[in-house]
Formats: sequence, C-alpha cells, structure tokens
Amino acid sequence: MTFVYAATIAILAGAGIYMILAQNVVRIVMGVALLAASANVLIFLSGRLGSVSPPIIPEGTDVLAQTAANPLPQALVLTAIVIGFALTAFGVALVYKAYRSLGTLDASAMHDAEDMGSPFTPSQAKQ
Amino acid sequence: MFPNTLENAFLSGWLPGETVPTLLLIAFLGAALSFVALPRVGKAAGVVAAALPFTLFAAFLTYVPVLATGDGVPTIMQTVQWVPSLGINFVTRLDGFSLLFALMITGIGTLVALYAGAYYADKPAADRARFLSYILLFMAAMLGTVLSDNLIVMFVFWEMTSLISFLLIGFNSASKEARAAALQSLVITAGGGLALFGGLLITGMEAGTFSLRAITLEPSLIAESPWFYVIATLVLIGAFTKSAQFPFHFWLPNAMQAPTPASAYLHSATMVKLGIFLLARFDPILSTSDVIVMVMVGFGLTTMLVAAVMALRSEGLKAILAYSTVASLGLLVTLIGLQGPGSSVGIAGFILAHALYKAALFFCAGIVIHATGATRVRDVGALFTLLPLTAVSTILASLSMAGLPPFVGFIAKEYVFEAKLESSFAGIVTFVAVGVNSVLVAIAGIVALRPFFSQKSAFKGEPKHGEVWGMTAGPVVLASMGVFFGLFADIPQYFIVGPAAVALSGAPFYVSFEIWHGLTPMLALSVLVIAIGALMVWKWDAVQSAAKSLSFIDRFSVEKGYNATFQGLLSVARLSTQTLQNGQMRTYLVATIAVVTAAMGYALLVGAFGPGAAGFAFPSVEGDTIRPYLAMVSALVVAGALVAAVARSMIVSLVGIGLSGYGIAVIFMKNGAPDLALTQLSVETLFVVIVTAVLVKLPAVGDGLKTYSRFDIRPRDALLSTAFGAAIFLVVLSIAAKPFNPSITDYFAATSLTEAFGRNVVNVILVDFRALDTLGEIAVVAFAAIAAWAILSLSDGKGPADLDPAHDRSTRGVSSLIFSTTAQAFFILMIAISVVVLFRGHNEPGGGFIGGLIASAGFAVLALALGVNIAAQKLILHPVVWMGVGLVCAIVSGIPGAVLNESFLTHQWVDLNLGFMTLKLGTTYLFDIGVYLTVIGGVLAFLIRVQQQTGSPDAKPSDALPADEPAPNTNTQGASA
Repeated sequence: MTFVYAATIAILAGAGIYMILAQNVVRIVMGVALLAASANVLIFLSGRLGSVSPPIIPEGTDVLAQTAANPLPQALVLTAIVIGFALTAFGVALVYKAYRSLGTLDASAMHDAEDMGSPFTPSQAKQ
Repeated sequence: MFPNTLENAFLSGWLPGETVPTLLLIAFLGAALSFVALPRVGKAAGVVAAALPFTLFAAFLTYVPVLATGDGVPTIMQTVQWVPSLGINFVTRLDGFSLLFALMITGIGTLVALYAGAYYADKPAADRARFLSYILLFMAAMLGTVLSDNLIVMFVFWEMTSLISFLLIGFNSASKEARAAALQSLVITAGGGLALFGGLLITGMEAGTFSLRAITLEPSLIAESPWFYVIATLVLIGAFTKSAQFPFHFWLPNAMQAPTPASAYLHSATMVKLGIFLLARFDPILSTSDVIVMVMVGFGLTTMLVAAVMALRSEGLKAILAYSTVASLGLLVTLIGLQGPGSSVGIAGFILAHALYKAALFFCAGIVIHATGATRVRDVGALFTLLPLTAVSTILASLSMAGLPPFVGFIAKEYVFEAKLESSFAGIVTFVAVGVNSVLVAIAGIVALRPFFSQKSAFKGEPKHGEVWGMTAGPVVLASMGVFFGLFADIPQYFIVGPAAVALSGAPFYVSFEIWHGLTPMLALSVLVIAIGALMVWKWDAVQSAAKSLSFIDRFSVEKGYNATFQGLLSVARLSTQTLQNGQMRTYLVATIAVVTAAMGYALLVGAFGPGAAGFAFPSVEGDTIRPYLAMVSALVVAGALVAAVARSMIVSLVGIGLSGYGIAVIFMKNGAPDLALTQLSVETLFVVIVTAVLVKLPAVGDGLKTYSRFDIRPRDALLSTAFGAAIFLVVLSIAAKPFNPSITDYFAATSLTEAFGRNVVNVILVDFRALDTLGEIAVVAFAAIAAWAILSLSDGKGPADLDPAHDRSTRGVSSLIFSTTAQAFFILMIAISVVVLFRGHNEPGGGFIGGLIASAGFAVLALALGVNIAAQKLILHPVVWMGVGLVCAIVSGIPGAVLNESFLTHQWVDLNLGFMTLKLGTTYLFDIGVYLTVIGGVLAFLIRVQQQTGSPDAKPSDALPADEPAPNTNTQGASA
C-alpha cells in the first residue's frame, strides 16, 4: 500500500502546485488546500501504516499495545488539519476582499503594491 | 643634550605606562563629546575644538626627544589587554615615522579646527559644530591608523577615515556634485580597502601574527610565501586607491567638492598620505621583489605625469592644487620604490615639507574663495591689499613648493633628487622628476602670483571680508615653519626627519638634512627645474591652452571608464530586478517551485548515486499487501484532486477538493486514526460551506479570462507540477524505506495512562505532552480568524449580534419549512454530541478539536436553515469573545502546574469522591474546553463574517453591503439557545 499512498500524496501535491500556478486567486487558495492535504497524508504515512486499531489503551491494560497505530503523527496531523483549514479560510476571506476592492480575481492584475513601491513605472510593472 | 632613554622615560613617571593608547582614547572621547558640546558653544566652536588636537600635539611633542635619542631604531610599543584569553590586544607602535604622522595630524588638525571655525562663522551653529566634530573624529581615526600595530585594528581605523572622508566631501549635501564626488571617493577608497583587507588577512595567516612590526622585522615570512604576489597586489591596490595613484587618481580632484578646511586636512596633508604610510611600512616586504619595485616606480611616475598634465589643464584654484597633490603622491610612491637611505630621508623630508606648504596653500586658496566667492584662477587678482598676510603666506609656501632655498621644500627636493640619481632607474626617473617638478614650480608661481598681483584678472566684485585671524593663523604658522625648518635644518634633521628616516630604513644611520651640500648634480637639477618653471609661469596662458588642446586625454579618461562601469552595474541591477522582481506572483512561484523541485531531485540523486550510496532504496513490499478497498478510495482522492485541478468551473473544483478530502478521511479511518477521520470530515464540511458562500459571489466560471473552455489546461504548468509530484513520489518512497525510529512513540505509549491518566494517546499528546504546542496552534487559529474578521469588517464596526434578522432578507436561510424546523432540532443534537465528544476525548476518540468542529458544523446547519444572524444569536457571545474565553481557559489550565513547583501546562489531577463513585478530574479537561471554545469561536468568526458579507444574492461588488447598513429597531436581545 505504501506505493499507492506515495502516489496519492504525489498526485495531490502535483495537483495543488498546478492550481497554485493559476492566474485566478481562488484556484491558488484551493491549490494551497490540496497541498496541505498532501502534507497531512505524508506526515501520517511517515509514522508507518499497517495497523488498523486506533491508539487507545484498552481497559485492563496500562500501556498501548504494540499492534496499535502510531499516535504521534496523528497528533501532529490533527492540529495540522485545523491550522490548514484556518489558513485556507483566511485565504478565502482575503480573496473575497480583494475581489470586492479590485474587481478582479486575476493575480497578475493585482499590482497596487508594486505600483506604489516599484522602482519602475506602473506601465512597466503591468506588462 | 637629551639624556632620556626609553627606559627612564617610562620609569621617570612623566610618561605613564600606556600613554599612547590613552592619547588615542582621549582623541576618540573628545571627538564623541564634541558632537554634544560644540553646538552649544556658538562662534567659539573652532577655538574649543582646536583645544583637543592641540593638547594631543603637545603630548606627542614630549615623545620627540625620547625617539630622537634612543639606540637602534627607537620604538615605543605599548599594549592594552583587550581579550587576553584570546590573545587579542590593542598594541600601539610609536616610532619616528608614526610620530611624524602623529605630529602632522594633530598639529595641522589644530590649525584646521581654528580655520574651520572661522570659515563657518556665518553658517548655522549646527552645521559648524557638525563639521568640526567630523574633523575631530577624522583626526582620531587617522591617529588610530598610524599608531596601531595590529593589522586588523589598523584596517578598522583605515576604513573609518574613508567613511569620514565621504561625510566631509558630501558635507554640502544639497549639491548634487558634492554627493556624486563623495560617493565616488567612497566607492574607490572603500573598494580598495576591501582589497587591502584581503591582503592583510592573507598576510596575517601566512605570517601567523597580525603584528605589523613582527611581520616587517621578518620579511622572509611573507616574501617566501606562495601568496606573496597576491598579498603585494592587494596591498598595492589598497594603497594606490587611498593615495590617488593612477589609475585611481581621479577621485581626488573631484573630492575638492569638500569644504576647503576638509580639503586642506584630508585631501592634501593627511589621509591621502595613508597609502604612502602603508607602502612605507610594508616596504621591507615589498622591496624583496624587483617586479613589485618596478610596479611602484612605474605607477608613481605615471601618476606624476598624468597629474602634471591635468594640473596644466585645470582652471579652478583648488583643482590645480589637487592635481599637484596627486603629482606629489606619485613622487612619494616612486621614492618608496627606490631603495637606499637617501630615499628614506627624501620620503620623510618630503612628507613633512609637502604637508606644511600644501596645507598652507589650501588654506590660502580657501581664504581667497571665501572672501571673493570666485573659484577660478582667472577670476581673481590684485588682492594683495585686501589680504596681505594671506598673500605673504602663499608666497612663502609657494617658494617652498617650488623648492627654492632657503625653504624646507628645497632641502627635501635635494634629497629626492639624490635618491633618484642614486637609483638604478636614474635616467627615466630623473627625466620625469625634472619635468613634473617644473610644473610644480609653475603651479606654485601661478597660485602665488595671480590672485594677489595680476592686474589683468583683477577681482571686480565686492569682497566679503579681509583678513580673519582664525583663517589667517593657519597659513602664517605653516609658511613660517617652512622657512624656519629650512633655515635651521638641524632641528628637523635631529628630531623629526632623522628618526622617521631611521624608522623607515629599519637600521640607524647618520641622517644629513642640510641646506647646502656643495655644488652637486642635485643643485644643478634644482636650477634647471626652477628655470623651466619660471618660463612656464611667464607663458602660462600659452602653456595652458597648449595643454588643453591635447583633446585625446579626454577620450581616454579613466573616469569615463569608471562612470561607464558604474552605470553598467546599475543597468544590470535594474535588468535583473525587472526580470526577477517583476511584481508577477506567478514568476516568483515558478522560480520557487522549480528550485524546490531541483533541490529534491539533487538530494535524491546524491542519496542514490553519490559516494557510498547503494542506489535508490525502495521500501520493502514484504507484508505490505495492497488493500483493494483503500486502493479504490485512494483512486477517488486522486480523481477528486485531478478534477479540481483541470476544471475551469470553481464549483466543480470545489466538489473535487471536497471529494478528495472525504476520501482522505476514509484513509485515516481505515488506518487506525478515528480522531483524524472525524477532524478531516468536519473540516472538509466547513471548508466547503465557507468556500461555497464566497464562490457564489464571485464570477462562477473561470477568472474573467476570455476563454470559456470547460478545462483549465496549461501545458507548461502541468509539466512543472508533474516534475514536482514525481520528486515528491520518490521522496516519500525514500522516507518509507528508512528504518523507523519508534522511541518517542514508545514513550507516549508507555506513559500515557500511567502518568497522564488518559487512554486516548492522541488526545493525551495534544492536551498534555505537547500542550504548549497545542496552545500555540489554537492561538494561530484565533489570530487567523481575527484577521479574517478584520478583513471582512463591516464598515460601521457593528458585530453580528446587532443585526436584525427580519431587517435583512438576504442573510435569511433557505425557505423550506421542513428544513428550518428539523434544523433546530438537529442543531441541538449536534451541540450535545459535540459536548460528549469533548469530554470523552481523553479516553476514547474525540476531544476539543473534534468537538469544536462538530459544534461549528451544527451552527453552519442552523445558518443554512434560518440565516446566519439567527445562528449568530444562538452563539450568545461574539465569536471573537468565545475565542478569548477559550484561550484564557487553556492558559489558566496550565497555572496550577506552574504554581505547584513544576512547570507551566504540567497538568494536575485530583480524585473527587462522590460517595457512589470516584471521579478523576484533571486540568487537562479545562485545557480541552479551551481548545473546544477557541475552535468554535474561530470557525464561526469565519463562517458568520463570510456569510454576512456574501449574504446578498444580487449585490454587485461596488454595492454597499446590506449588513453594513445601520439597523433601526434592532432586536438585540435575540433568542438564545
């Protein structure tokens, strides 16, 4: 299964990168979400898979069974999922605000900052 | 006559132990203090400032008899322990040569301070004080350079003089020319400084010591090193840039943009002689190679010739003097190249004579310019009656420069000629020296005669002032010294030139420095030079126009090459910025991703085929069977991602991402990670809800680009993404092939229940073992939510609870009676479930994160059914307040641990006996409640804000938001759950 998961992670990452390279800022945010998902699965996989029993200590024993799944990457991924969600949600808010103020979703058309501080004329920055 | 020896000078007590470092410290402290003090003393600033160099001058004078009478080469080495454990000490070296410089620096510094005070009398006090402070700081840096024995310490002072020179040349910062000249001098001298630094570092490493004295006492250390020519070249570049030698000479005439007091001090008497100082100090090493000697003589002669021609072409008073300085520096470099005791007497004598007359001439030129406002020679004349003392001083200084008896300049020149006739290059050197010296004589004549006596160019304007004592004192003193040292040549011979020459040659010898030594060839040369010079003065205008007609000089100007290089560098910088920093995010992303991909590829290649590698290691497939069910789910995840990537419709993309996310949740579930599965499911749901709310307000298809294809196909991006994905694939495989280290996991597995009293190890890690990390993570969620809240702020700043649901049709939910009725019950059910999930999380799947996400999903359902404002009211408090409450809970839960002698967030447990059962309660529960509330507050902050902003179905981007409008009759009590 390792090869299957590795391929899944790779395609998720590749698709995320492809979306990030788009001109539309909504696609960029969505690409970030895919890339985050890919990273989560990667961390999960790096703790080694194979067990199907959750890392919960059963009643009557004091220590986690050797056959249980690895809890460490799960704890890392759990917070990573929430943080990734906060990041993409923030990105969506930013995109929406940008569209409201600039009237475009085209990343290459968003260059107010460059126009302001660019050493070149705005026409050069726009090319 | 002076019985003191080095020993009894120390023992007798009138020279305390570390006097030289102390004097240096006084110089720097005084300069630092002057920045505060001088603006407060008004017009007396010049006199006050002069007190510092004068005191130091007097102190250095006391060393004169000591160094004049010692045995061998009298040298005073003094050490201040700095970092004794590392062997880093501040060592000063005072011998005849550095004393000559110290006396010039402080003596002329005194006169410059006086002069500058008068020169800036009419200027604002702040400007005057700042100028004087720079002068004093410069003086301190110069002293540091000539007195340091450690090469690195010396270099620091050396660079300091370059920096202060930059400040002084650009002192008149409103002038574009002054700024350009300042920058040019800095680029050249600091660039040379960089070369010098390299040379000094290699020297120190090769010699095993950074003590200049130790290195030059053993020249073979460096001379026999394979790095010798590198060191020599770098040191020569450093010295040639500083002392304005060809081809770096052009910065010095441009530096005449500096105020005249600075020109007199830095650019004639002191700083530009540092290169000479350095070459003279390194001479024992450099002169071991005939090639280097040839180079020094060659560059020195070239510099003399170029400067002489340029001086004849110049019209400005200061420019002529500047070129004559360049010529003199070339002469000194030539002399250092020539060997023998005669040349060291020539060097020492000429440095002294040149400092006296050139500083005096600059002072006089400054007085003329200051009094008349005219800067060109042809614009001034017949000023004798206005400035009689200045005129006399100018004439005396000029005669010394022209090398006429009985001035000190004459004696110096005699020894210079002697050194040249002694040398193996006698012919050419003498020929050039005669020509250049004739030009110097001519310059002396022009500068002395034209401004004061020429009726042809009589000054027509109204002079601003006559003699001002502060300005006139300097040239009078210096010019008189020139006469005095010439008439009583025993004094410089015994006390100043003699010890300096002995220090230079490194061995004691009898130094003669006399005005008359018979009918010698040198005297004949002097007569010849003066005759040619006098002829040139007589026919000055013809000479000048002849020199100007040499137009080929302009075409081969080094300065043009410098400017072209400078502009070329700027264009390259501009071009590279335009290409790389072009304001297009795509460019940056492509570059970043390409580099990351290449780095991964490189690491994989090295790991697989580098030295000692055994090919690419694939993970073992033994026992790693394919599970068909999960393989299909993985295919679903992949399909969702690919659809999202290529679909042009945003909604389709969103569905693809959602599909992918749910698939990942299943993968988590089936690999023993129920906590992750629950989290992933709730997050994916909320993500789809929030993004949908935004998407409906954005152009549904594509990005406003012209094409309306159903697919978003970009072949080049696809190629890069595929390369990135392929690299990731191999990286993941190589990670999986590595042996797994379970030590941390084993620790958690063993201690989760016994020490942290929790059976769900994932939750225990989150709320206990890694509680501080978790606290940071929920804080990040909170910050992101607050930032989004602010970005999507309502213009009147009203929170959602202020909004009337009835007022605003657009924020109402869907109009379905069944949905809206069942949604309420559903909401209550979800909240209840979330609380259960929260509290059982310590022992079973669940916990604060999952509970909070489930509760948020409940609110999302309610918002969908009844409108976002109803949902907001059910929340009772503002979502940002909930986040605050959550964070406080999480932080407070850590305090008991901190108080009870352990550390923050070490959770504490108590057994609560309720009679029928025993409850085990710990602060972890409070922490998890904090997580729960923060997550709810954060998610709902996003949800409510996004839905409020996007609520109006027909609002155009430019429309005012319905939610922005003030709501009369607002029912703020609302219904609470």
